[in-house]
Amino acid sequence: MIDVRNVHKTFLSPHAVRALVDVTVKIEQGEVVVVIGPSGSGKSTFLRCLNHLEAADSGHILIDGIDILNPKTDINKVRAEVGMVFQSFNLFPHKTVLENVTLAQVVVRKRSKAQAFEKAMMLLKKVGIGEKANGYPDQLSGGQQQRVAIARALAMDPKIMLFDEPTSALDPEMIGEVLDVMKTLAREGMTMVVVTHEMGFAREVADRVLFMDEGAIVEEGTPEHFFKNPEHERTRLFLSQIL
Amino acid sequence: MPMGTPTSDGTPKNTGYYVWVGVFFFIVIGVAYSLYYATLKIDYVWRWYRIPQYFLFKEQVEVRAQIQGTVHRITMKEDLVLVEVKEGDIKETYPVPAKALRVREGDFIYPGDVLGAYPRWRVGILMEGLWLTLKVSLIAIIFGVIIGLFGGLARISKNPAFKWLAITYIELIRGSPLLVQIFIWYFVLGTLINTILARHGLIQIPPLWFGVAALACFAGAYVAEIVRAGIQSIHRGQTEASRSLGMTSAQSMLHVILPQALRRILPPLAGQFISLIKDSSLLGIIAIRELTKATREVVTTSLQPFELWFLCALLYLFLTFTLSMFLQYLERRQLIT
Repeated sequence: MIDVRNVHKTFLSPHAVRALVDVTVKIEQGEVVVVIGPSGSGKSTFLRCLNHLEAADSGHILIDGIDILNPKTDINKVRAEVGMVFQSFNLFPHKTVLENVTLAQVVVRKRSKAQAFEKAMMLLKKVGIGEKANGYPDQLSGGQQQRVAIARALAMDPKIMLFDEPTSALDPEMIGEVLDVMKTLAREGMTMVVVTHEMGFAREVADRVLFMDEGAIVEEGTPEHFFKNPEHERTRLFLSQIL
Repeated sequence: MPMGTPTSDGTPKNTGYYVWVGVFFFIVIGVAYSLYYATLKIDYVWRWYRIPQYFLFKEQVEVRAQIQGTVHRITMKEDLVLVEVKEGDIKETYPVPAKALRVREGDFIYPGDVLGAYPRWRVGILMEGLWLTLKVSLIAIIFGVIIGLFGGLARISKNPAFKWLAITYIELIRGSPLLVQIFIWYFVLGTLINTILARHGLIQIPPLWFGVAALACFAGAYVAEIVRAGIQSIHRGQTEASRSLGMTSAQSMLHVILPQALRRILPPLAGQFISLIKDSSLLGIIAIRELTKATREVVTTSLQPFELWFLCALLYLFLTFTLSMFLQYLERRQLIT
């Protein structure tokens, strides 16, 4: 489903930083992959490269067989198949909750208003915001906003969902409600790549854990392997700091 | 501290507050009175009663015969009468309001004789000037916004041709005086365009449109910068979210970024529009009789500069204040929805 081969990425401004160094990883359909690592380790950059919000400098990134680094690829078509959830929600503040979820369906998927509405209401009910559909994002709590953002991404019927620290901006009591929605998605067989600091989520839901440090994937494996007997010294150090 | 009525921010007003309110009115009235007193010292006679005629006046309209002959027949047609003057084969008919009729059937008429006279209300020169200022400003605002919108989008475009063209345009317009720009539009571009049009036998473009073009281009450069700042003030996450849903950059701009930017640019845009109304006073120099030029003309004939220039300022204030209120209304309405 996702095939990343020898990807490099260097940020030039404000100063040169090697964000990704020879990253190679393959993610199968239906797999839930959790990416963890210290801040500045390149995990967000890795995720943002997967839907080309950041352009990788070299290597290949194949999404469902399409090389998104090929300049001839219509990136918008690929992005419609890859949902993304951001740390800061990024809901559209000038649109109602319902419009947030219908907009891209109508504009990108060319669905009718009625179809988009039906789909949006179904998803909003699924994430538990059905009764707030006509409110505006700033009337919702952080956890509710993030659930709307998940519904907005799901409305496009994506094949892959990317989560970029979806609970980092939330108050502690709201983290659970967002993680619950993500767990449901995982159970339903969605292919997911999740950057998070929620080790509980990683242990419970992940099929595989990637540990990144200084732009490289240092260690990968099942949660049991990863949390119980990590091979690398850096992984052990990181785990000892956070657990 | 003495008790008082609470102000809007909840703090009680004390006596000191009312003293300073008094100081405000004292200064305003004092300045106005000193000015009036000074005019008395130089024997200026205020004649406000002569001002209304420059807005609306009664004109005596006279219907005169063009030929000589007898009044052959007078027929009623609704509230008009048709006066038929005839001599031999020559016959002419003049419509006159029934009440204004001054001739009878059988009267002998020489050319130039008055067949009927009646008063009619006419719009005065200041009213015409006010209307022209309003018209020129509104057209310039509309085109200025269109130019500014595309200018602002070009300014942030990644395409070097668009971007550099926008920068050149903005810097050129913002860096030179509007007066000079109006001269260039009228005396250089106007001459070129009208000469070329004349060579091809086409009609000439009147000065008004060169004036409007100068104002629109001038405002457009400022609006472009306002639009650019508005778009750039929208958080990057909004673009990322819309693009991650598969929207093209145009769709993202249209549905997500611009509607949000519009709210933020409304207040600075209002300031720009107000400037534009005032700047239109420069158009008098290319023979467009807007409010300032109209006032100047009335001043030279009536010799009442004090009344007229104050009035002119008040009329501009009326236009700008109305516009400002309208834009504030739009802003409030947007904040609610």
